[in-house]
This record gives sequence, structure tokens and C-alpha cells, in this order.
Amino acid sequence: MNAIILSALCGVVMMFSGILLKNKSAIKYVAIAALLVLILGNFLQFYGVYTIDIDSKGLLAFDRTGLFFNTIIFVATLVYFILSGSDMERVGPDVAEYFALIFFVLCGVTVLTSFNGLLMFFIGIEILSIPLYILTGSDKKNLKSNEASLKYFLMGSFSTGILLMGITLIYGATGSFGLQSTTMKSAITGFSSAGILAPVGLVLLFISMCFKVSAAPFHFWAPDVYDGAPSVFTSFMATIVKAAGFFAFIKLFAAKSADFGPGPAWQLILYIIIVATLLIGNITAVFQQSVKRMLAYSSIAQAGFMLFALYSTNEFTKDGILLYTAAYSFATIGIFSILTKMEDYSLDGFNGLSKSQPVLAFTNTVFFLSLSGIPLTAGFFAKYYMLASAIKGGGSLSLVIIAVLFAAVSVYYYFKVIQAIYFKEGVAATNTPITSNFKVALIVLAAIIIILGIYPTALLGFYYF
Amino acid sequence: MAITHILFWFLTALALVSALMVLLSKNPVYSVLWLVAVFFAISGHYILLNAQFLAIVNMIVYAGAIMVLFLFVIMLMNLDKETEPQKDIWMKIAGAVSGGCLLMVFVSLVKQATEMTGKEALLKTGTIGLIENLGKALFSDYVVPFEISSVLFLSAMVGAVVIGKK
Repeated sequence: MNAIILSALCGVVMMFSGILLKNKSAIKYVAIAALLVLILGNFLQFYGVYTIDIDSKGLLAFDRTGLFFNTIIFVATLVYFILSGSDMERVGPDVAEYFALIFFVLCGVTVLTSFNGLLMFFIGIEILSIPLYILTGSDKKNLKSNEASLKYFLMGSFSTGILLMGITLIYGATGSFGLQSTTMKSAITGFSSAGILAPVGLVLLFISMCFKVSAAPFHFWAPDVYDGAPSVFTSFMATIVKAAGFFAFIKLFAAKSADFGPGPAWQLILYIIIVATLLIGNITAVFQQSVKRMLAYSSIAQAGFMLFALYSTNEFTKDGILLYTAAYSFATIGIFSILTKMEDYSLDGFNGLSKSQPVLAFTNTVFFLSLSGIPLTAGFFAKYYMLASAIKGGGSLSLVIIAVLFAAVSVYYYFKVIQAIYFKEGVAATNTPITSNFKVALIVLAAIIIILGIYPTALLGFYYF
Repeated sequence: MAITHILFWFLTALALVSALMVLLSKNPVYSVLWLVAVFFAISGHYILLNAQFLAIVNMIVYAGAIMVLFLFVIMLMNLDKETEPQKDIWMKIAGAVSGGCLLMVFVSLVKQATEMTGKEALLKTGTIGLIENLGKALFSDYVVPFEISSVLFLSAMVGAVVIGKK
């Protein structure tokens, strides 16, 4: 409850700071301070200190996994604010409002990590989505940004309609918004004994959630929206918001106990979706000339890996999704913070970056290595846990082999950027001077990624103790 | 057949025909007007279910405010046959196939669902839709979602200002 209320309050504080503070960089520091308060509040609740406690009549349930996921998300947002906060000032004049909207998104995330029924789930999804439509269109003079925003809004509203229809059918079947009823359980573990309303409702929910996390056949919005939105906000959407969507997805289908997860009928659907997502994301990314668009497709491909957490639910799954969220978010936020500083977003724009900006070149390489899952970076263990959970679930070796093959494909297009940075001649121009603070922040982030790659229990240790 | 049954079937037919006409009308202004008819028919259903508050809100908010805005937007955009985008024949076929699949799922759902066979809507009875009971439920059991949805509206308002400001 701490995090939900504090994040909404932080959003209101940011709105007022826009009136009171005229200096734009001061707004950024207010946002960082507010986020630190938020992290502290969430941390206190993680260790059992409830500063604000409200009886939610069983509609919200806080568990350690959700609270720990909150912490990862907040820390990733802190990194994002530090690295990209000053880039937000270049998008438009309403910096304080952008920060406020981001805090409202965080409020949606905290609702999604603690919902205990479809009603709160729906509200969480909406609080998460509405500010994003606006952030996508925040570059008002840019036609591509406008188009992306409108497209995202229309497609998003449509998928919300499907979500609501699913919730209605499930409500009709069970007579409640809860997830723990026997009808819901049998609809998730196997279709046969659950009647017909609840499975159909769950299929509609499933479709809508696949849309929100941009899994393939429902991914068509993602490249256009990620490409059209201002790069700073693409960074936020592709990492923090996507991870939160996945967490809600998993919480919905693998609700409580470890032995309770998607049954064989669901696994078949998931198998097809995972393979399609990996195929479309990776193969299309190979042919992209713009690094930003390539990252959009690669985020679809990464969604394929995250879906593994849904495919089989065992003790690896929770560790896997927590680690994957951290590894993927940190690396992608780092890459995007460098990308927004570049004059030219195409592959050639990175030519010769190692000569002009060696620190940026090196950290960017670490981030790309982590995304492709090379050992000694956080991405390796993230992928390892995901695949291990699928093997442990049993009977899906072919899926794991396909995933490994596509991970190899992803190395190809990530290394094209590294090749441009180190082995091609050119003058990689930046659009703003690179401050030494920015460089230090990047080095710290790269160090965190390497530490997580060597010693992943550093993160998971917090979770268990 | 009681009067409520006759009303129920009349409103159902009205809703379905109007919904079809929304899609089939060539002129977008007629589409919007048919949509208003759909909302009125559904409001009639709410009244039959003894949910007066919902019926009135549905009429005021959807049929009244939102549809009038819709109508203004469509009139200002001045849509006609020339500006209408020509859709690919394959797109139409794909749309018909996928829409037909969804229709098939829903029809078989209604036909097979044991939860729904032999049951009738609670016509004229039931007090949950009355404003008193609705208010009590909203401010006791569902007070947390009620309050949290204010964050949603606040963010929408902030967004409207951000987008609308020069």
C-alpha cells in the first residue's frame, strides 16, 4: 500500500513542482528525490513496516515477490531518471508533467504487482496504459510521434475492450472477480472440467495481455510506436512498462502456488506464440538499418524469452522473471540513453564511436552483450534461468533449442552495432556535449550488469533474505 | 408472455439491428445516430434489470455527451466517399475470416454454456442496481478501487493538458 499511495502522491508533487520551479534541471532533481522516497517506502513494506495500512477488503494482496519486483522497477526508473532525465527537457516544455505521468505509470505498476482479483487488475492495466499514450505523443511537432500516439491509443483501447469482455465472461462463470475460485483454477490447469465461459474469457484475457506485452501475432503496434515515440520515452515503455505487463500476466495465470500453472492446452498455445514471437522479432530485427527500430524488434524478441516464465511455473520461474527484468531493463535503458545522445540513429551513425567517445563505446558494448546473453553479463543468467525453468517443467526440449538458436541470431544484429562502433571509420556525432556525470553513471550501470552476470545471487539474495 | 418479456425481446432486436446498421451505413453521421439507438436500447435493458442508476448514467454519458462529441467531430471532419480510404480485398477477406472465427466462438459459447441454459435475466426483481445499494457497495467493499481509479482520471487530465497546451 505504501508504494501505491506514495507513487500517486509523487505524481501530484511533480505536477506542482512544474508551477513552482522554473529551472528545468531542478525538476529532475525533485523527481529523483521523490523516487528515493518511494523506494524507501516500498523497502519498509518489504521488511514489514506499514506506514500506511488500509483494509482493501481482499482486493489487494501484498507478497514478497511483488514488493521485490516493485523495488527492481523503482531502481530501474531511478537509473532511467539519472541517465535520461535531462533528455526529457529536449522533448517539450512540460518536463514536470512528463515526470508526473511517469509516476502515475509507476502507480499502475504497483497495483499490477499486488492485485488480487480482476477488478484491480483492470484498473492497474489502465493506469499503466493511459499515461503512455500521452508520453508517446509528447513530441507534438513531430508527425511520426502523433501517428504513433494515435495508433497506440486506438489499438490499446481495442485490446482493453477485449480484456473487459474476457473479465465479463469470467465474472459470469464464477460470480466474482477473484482468481482463486475452483472454476478459474480448472480453466487454467485444463480446459475440460471448467465449463465453457471461463476458458473463453481467459482466452480473451490472454489475447489482450499478449497485445500489451507485444507478443507475436499481436505485435504489429510495437515497432511503429517504439520508433515514433520520443527515444527517451521509448526507453521507458520498452523496459519498465513491458516488464510490469509480464509480471501481471504471470500473476494472472500462475496465481498462487508453485504447482499451479498453465495446463497442456495453454502450453500448446504458448509454444506457438513463443516460437512466433522469437521468429518475427529476431528475423525482422536483422534487416533493420535504424538502431532504434532494431531495438523495437529486439524488444519483441526479448518478450519471447520472457514468455518462458509463463510456459512452465516452478522455482526457477520467479527468480528468472526478477533477474530478466533487471538485466533487460538496465541494459536497454543504458542503450537508449546513449542512443538519444546520438545525432544519427542509423547503424552508420555509430561508426567510429570508439575513437570519439571511448567510454560510451565500451559501456554500449557491455549493454549489447548483456542483451544478447553472453556469459559474464547479467543477460546470460537471465536467459539461463528462463530456459532452465522450461527444461525443469519437462517435455519441451524443442522449444529450448529453438530459443537458443534465435538467441544466436540476436547476437548477429547486436554485433552489427558493436562492429560499427569499433571497426568502422567515421565521426559518430553526438547532439549534446557528453558530461562526465553521464559517463560515470554509465560505468556504474555497466559494472552492475557485469556483477549480476558473475554473481546473480547478489540480486536474488535480497529477495530471499 | 408478460409485458416485460415483450419489452425484452423488442429491445434486444432493436439493439442488434441498430448495431448492424452502425456497420452497414455508408454515411458516418448515420452510423453515429444508430449507435445512439444502441445505447438507448441497452439503457432499456438496464431498466428492465431494475438498474435505474446505470440506465440513466448510460443515457447521459454515452448517448448524450460522448455521442454528441462524436457527431461534432465527424461533421467537422467532413467525411465523404472521396476521402474514404479504399481497403484491399485481402484485408476484407482476412477481416471477415477472423471476425467470423470470433463470432463462431461466441455463438457456440452461448449455445453450449451450461451456466446459461435455462436461466433468465432477473427481470423486474433484484435490488443490487438501485442507487442506494450501488452506493453502499462502492463506498464499502469497493472503496479501494474507487479511490485508485482517481489516479487514472488524474493522469488522463494531466495528459489532456499536456497534449492540448501550445
